[in-house]
Amino acid sequence: MAPGEKIKAKIKKNLPVTGPQAPTIKELMRWYCLNTNTHGCRRIVVSRGRLRRLLWILFTLTAVALIFWQCALLVISFYTVSVSIKIHFQKLDFPAVTICNINPYKYSAVRDLLADLEQETRGALKTLYGFSEIKSRKRRDTESWSSVWEGTRPKFLNLVPLLAFKEGEMGKARDFLTGRKRKVSGSIIRKESDVMNVHESKEVVGFQLCSNDTSNCAVYTFSSGVNAIQEWYKLHYMNIMAQVSLEKKINMSYSAEELLVTCFFDGVSCNARNFTLFHHPMYGNCYTFNNRQNETILSTSMGGSEYGLQVILHINEEEYNPFLVSSTGAKVIIHRQDEYPFVEDVGTEIETAMATSIGMHLTESFKLSEPYSQCTEDGSDVPVENIYKAAYSLKICLHSCFQTKMVEKCGCAQYSQPLPPAANYCNYQQHPNWMYCYYQLHQAFVREELGCQSVCREACSFKEWTLTTSLAQWPSEVSEKWLLSVLTWDQGLQIKKKLNKTDLAKLLIFYKDLNQRSIMENPANSIEMLLSNFGGQLGLWMSCSIVCVIEIIEVFFIDSLSIIARQQWQKAKQWWAQRQAPPCPEAPPSPQGQDNPVLDIDDDLPTFTSALHLPPAPGTQVPGTPPPKYNTLRLERAFSNQLTDTQVPAEF
Amino acid sequence: MERIDERWLEAWRPGFYFQICLWLSVTMSATMHVKKYLLKGLHRLQKGPGYTYKELLVWYCDNTNTHGPKRIICEGPKKKAMWFLLTLLFAALVCWQWGIFIRTYLSWEVSVSLSVGFKTMDFPAVTICNASPFQYSKVRHLLKDLDELMDAVLERILAPEPSHANATEALNFTIWNHTPLVLIDEQNPHKPVVLDLFGDNHNSSASSSPAPGRTCDAQGCKVAMRLCSLNGTVCTFRNFTSATQAVMEWYVLQATNIFSQVPRQELVAMSYPGEQLILACLFGAEPCSHRNFTSIFHPDYGNCHIFNWGMTEKALPSSNPGAEFGLKLILDIGQEDYVPFLTSTAGARLLLHEQRSYPFIKEEGIYAMSGTETSIGVLVDRLERKGEPYSRCTKNGSDVPIPNLYSDHNTTYSIQACIHSCFQDHMIRNCSCGHYLYPLPRGEKYCNNQDFPDWAYCYSDLRINVAQRETCINLCKESCNDTQYKMTISMAEWPSEASEDWILHVLSQERDQSTNITLSRKGIVKLNIYFQEFNYRTIEESAANNIVWLLSNLGGQFGFWMGGSVLCLIEFGEIIIDFVWITVIKLVAFSKSLQRRRAQAHYASPPPTVAELVEAHTNFGFQPDVISHSPTTGTYPDEQPVPIPGTPPPNYDSLRLQPLDVVESDNEGDAI
Repeated sequence: MAPGEKIKAKIKKNLPVTGPQAPTIKELMRWYCLNTNTHGCRRIVVSRGRLRRLLWILFTLTAVALIFWQCALLVISFYTVSVSIKIHFQKLDFPAVTICNINPYKYSAVRDLLADLEQETRGALKTLYGFSEIKSRKRRDTESWSSVWEGTRPKFLNLVPLLAFKEGEMGKARDFLTGRKRKVSGSIIRKESDVMNVHESKEVVGFQLCSNDTSNCAVYTFSSGVNAIQEWYKLHYMNIMAQVSLEKKINMSYSAEELLVTCFFDGVSCNARNFTLFHHPMYGNCYTFNNRQNETILSTSMGGSEYGLQVILHINEEEYNPFLVSSTGAKVIIHRQDEYPFVEDVGTEIETAMATSIGMHLTESFKLSEPYSQCTEDGSDVPVENIYKAAYSLKICLHSCFQTKMVEKCGCAQYSQPLPPAANYCNYQQHPNWMYCYYQLHQAFVREELGCQSVCREACSFKEWTLTTSLAQWPSEVSEKWLLSVLTWDQGLQIKKKLNKTDLAKLLIFYKDLNQRSIMENPANSIEMLLSNFGGQLGLWMSCSIVCVIEIIEVFFIDSLSIIARQQWQKAKQWWAQRQAPPCPEAPPSPQGQDNPVLDIDDDLPTFTSALHLPPAPGTQVPGTPPPKYNTLRLERAFSNQLTDTQVPAEF
Repeated sequence: MERIDERWLEAWRPGFYFQICLWLSVTMSATMHVKKYLLKGLHRLQKGPGYTYKELLVWYCDNTNTHGPKRIICEGPKKKAMWFLLTLLFAALVCWQWGIFIRTYLSWEVSVSLSVGFKTMDFPAVTICNASPFQYSKVRHLLKDLDELMDAVLERILAPEPSHANATEALNFTIWNHTPLVLIDEQNPHKPVVLDLFGDNHNSSASSSPAPGRTCDAQGCKVAMRLCSLNGTVCTFRNFTSATQAVMEWYVLQATNIFSQVPRQELVAMSYPGEQLILACLFGAEPCSHRNFTSIFHPDYGNCHIFNWGMTEKALPSSNPGAEFGLKLILDIGQEDYVPFLTSTAGARLLLHEQRSYPFIKEEGIYAMSGTETSIGVLVDRLERKGEPYSRCTKNGSDVPIPNLYSDHNTTYSIQACIHSCFQDHMIRNCSCGHYLYPLPRGEKYCNNQDFPDWAYCYSDLRINVAQRETCINLCKESCNDTQYKMTISMAEWPSEASEDWILHVLSQERDQSTNITLSRKGIVKLNIYFQEFNYRTIEESAANNIVWLLSNLGGQFGFWMGGSVLCLIEFGEIIIDFVWITVIKLVAFSKSLQRRRAQAHYASPPPTVAELVEAHTNFGFQPDVISHSPTTGTYPDEQPVPIPGTPPPNYDSLRLQPLDVVESDNEGDAI
């Protein structure tokens, strides 16, 4: 027991004065520098010579600055991501495949609705280009439309007249209906000249859209009559179709049995029941395969065309609308089960009389959301209402935003997008000037004036199928004969005539291999990493740790503040004592004043000699002060003792 | 254990006692050595930090380099407690964070680097096949019966009136009876009626009932394939929603049966030879011909021709991007000679793959259409994986439990090869014969109707078996280095109308030496394969966390919380050893004091004087020989005859400096 106590005593002797008991700040600093664990501070105190001391102060300060700088860099770069690419070979979920005929409705079914429009279009073509008979490649009954023309009064050309402009004189236009020249007021917007300059055309075709009071008009011109007439037709077509109920539209379009002749998936036969109907305003009935019916997603456990989806489509070219669509075939969109198929924006077109084989590679991407990037997990934090019944995506957000703005500004919804709640599609009867409004709004949207582009954010995770498309002739010459007859038998009820090979398209969609590529963002830093990097920096420059930081807080804030407070307190006390004392010169000096080494002799109480203004006796020095000074002496010595002691063990 | 020891001892009984003696003497000398070491250790310890736990702790705290402990001892009581808690907290934090780092390290994560650019690379191997495996003119004799049967089937399906009875008599029904096609009348979904297509001629199936009016169209009836096993006793129907599929599947199944009985050489001869398929070839500026192609036989596509396979000669490099420097080919697929029922798609099959790898053209190949020019821009996508333990992959397939059946061509391992080998393996196990589409292991035979009558039933069962595929996926591993060729495909009409005439003339002249046009635009294919501007993209894995990373983070954490280093850990270990020593000393002293108390109780005479004790003990310290004698005597050192008188005065000094009472008792304890 005795040696332990001895060592304890020794330690007590060595370290008698701890930080806050130091009398002055300077002493405290000295004590800190000698006792701290950080390197550098000690050097400042220990070094001999002013230059060295200065150098060491400089080094220490530089090290501190470097630590701050580096740590700031570490904190700033905390929210960075590292990207990892992983490839797994595994059983893959087959994507949803949406197949649409390019032509939305059977022409025979919608002809009644569009009869007037068609007549006027043909009439416009006649006036503009001087031909009236349209020779269809297919056997379409081309009777009766020119005869009816004279009788009825044109209503579509009245509403939105097609005009032909002479290059150079934009103010004047020739109306197709009357053949008269007439003055066109309002701003002229060339539909295509924003992007490209078209100089060659002498005569441009366009149409005029006016707002309600007809004073505010905009003229849209096109470099080619093909675009102008298609665009004009489409406007009126949307107008008419907006007034037709959904059930009627579904009935007018193709049924699954009509579109799909055969279906084969993963070596097993499938049929129209495996497809779900999805009605698209511009593409009519589309059919989605593997759209999570019965809550199961089909998957593929073998690569290659044999194990994918094989369908033969019946594209009935006879039923095509001549003005609305000018190409023949089908459109295929490969998408996630909960994703909305944007038929008009994306998709691969399928040619007839061909086998289109689409090999897929799956790539999955995951981004980190806030605070790493601006993406959104499910769109719930984007201030745009999702009007689609599908998972969030940037495109959905943009379309929803536009549609909402459209309802806000024009009072009705645009036809090619879903309806927001409590709104209906635009048509002439209720909203006579919606077209003008729509075009204005669309222009603003394209110029990013509506603010949709800044509000909408991209989704954090998405699946992407990279497609390799190749074509081959199908059916081959030698197999054509038997194949077509069997396919005709298969179609049986739907078609009463023999199939032609240009009515058919074969489509193969399959995984080329079962490699799934995942691109993932991971946080590059964790809090542990940050701390250990801090530790590394602190250790490298100053051999410091969190303990040193606590020390610094202790010494520089708590202790020095307490010292200052003590000093101030003493000063105040003294001042108070002085204020109390003056009326009574005989009052004994306060012990504080005696203890205080700062006490000036001038402030001393008047002695006998001073009071009498006598010269002080040379031999007789004031004898009274020594005893109280012992006190301070002892304090100071203890402190310096401790200093020398701490230095001594270092030299040992 | 004890029993074994006894037996062992009994077995050695003759020399047992002798051995015991020997062993005792050995152990005695060993214990002496141990004692010596203990003594030495004790002496060394005397120069150590302290003799009590407290001293040791205080010494450690005062002298350690870690930042916390020093504060514990040099502050006031309140701060002491605070610092003690802080130090404990920091130590705990360090341990926790270290655990996290070590776990992160042991998760073997990889980081990925991606590089893109252009460099001289080996041109990919290009495999070209015709979509039809055989020339119809050469296989017609084999397929004669089948084709006639097929014609009759189609006739029956399309025109159900039984007016062709006389025509069907000439047919060969042996093929038909093995796996017949039936019509299933599903108008009544609860009671489907099975109609045999040739029901008039024979009644092979019990369930079929020759319907009175065989008026069946696509809505009422579905065509199905009847697959039977065990001599036709167990039958299943493979249903199809469309007759087209049913007929084609049936034909392919039958054709497989026929071709699997033909030796490989004959099949090769019946397929399209290289000189007929490849009309013109140009690689960069250098002409090439069908001789530059290696031919292999693919069961699905017949003869396939591989350019730049790199098996015998070095792979050709391509040092420039663009169509001018790529491979240009003109092919003739001879569409008019296709087998009509076997393939309905006409075109060339094409695959770009790595040198020395087997072309799995059915899975990964693309089509090239006749009458067009197909341009293919290539981007090489290379993946280099790190291997175990970072990712699950195999370098050469040697650690995959499935024998690679594609090693005949000396090709490298690929996961496709593994999966196909796995399927064939299952096929042979379940059906006892190999499927025609996959290579055969040694000593096995391909399936055919004669030798293996159940094979079709067995095969179609296995084919739609998802569990089997998943087993294969789980067994097979990806190869660590993987190359994919990304293609940008574009097409244009070729030859153009203006140039069609002369091009066909020239090509016909070259191939057949005829002045007339022997080729047609339905048969010729032009191909351009070239590297794109940026031709490679390499994804390379590297270890995300290496040992340097781990150490620097461990150091960072330790430094951050406690300002410690490895040396501090060593210090700590030293202190723990000291702790153990002190414990040992204390224990010995305690037992010693117990014994002494007991011995004191036995004392008859008064206890020895202090001087005596001092003398005895000091002599012990300096004369270890005495100690080594003492255990044999087994007596207490105080009872020994008084040894040689020592040198008491100088010893007083040491006595004062070092607490001898502890040491003494230890020595004595050791002695006993």
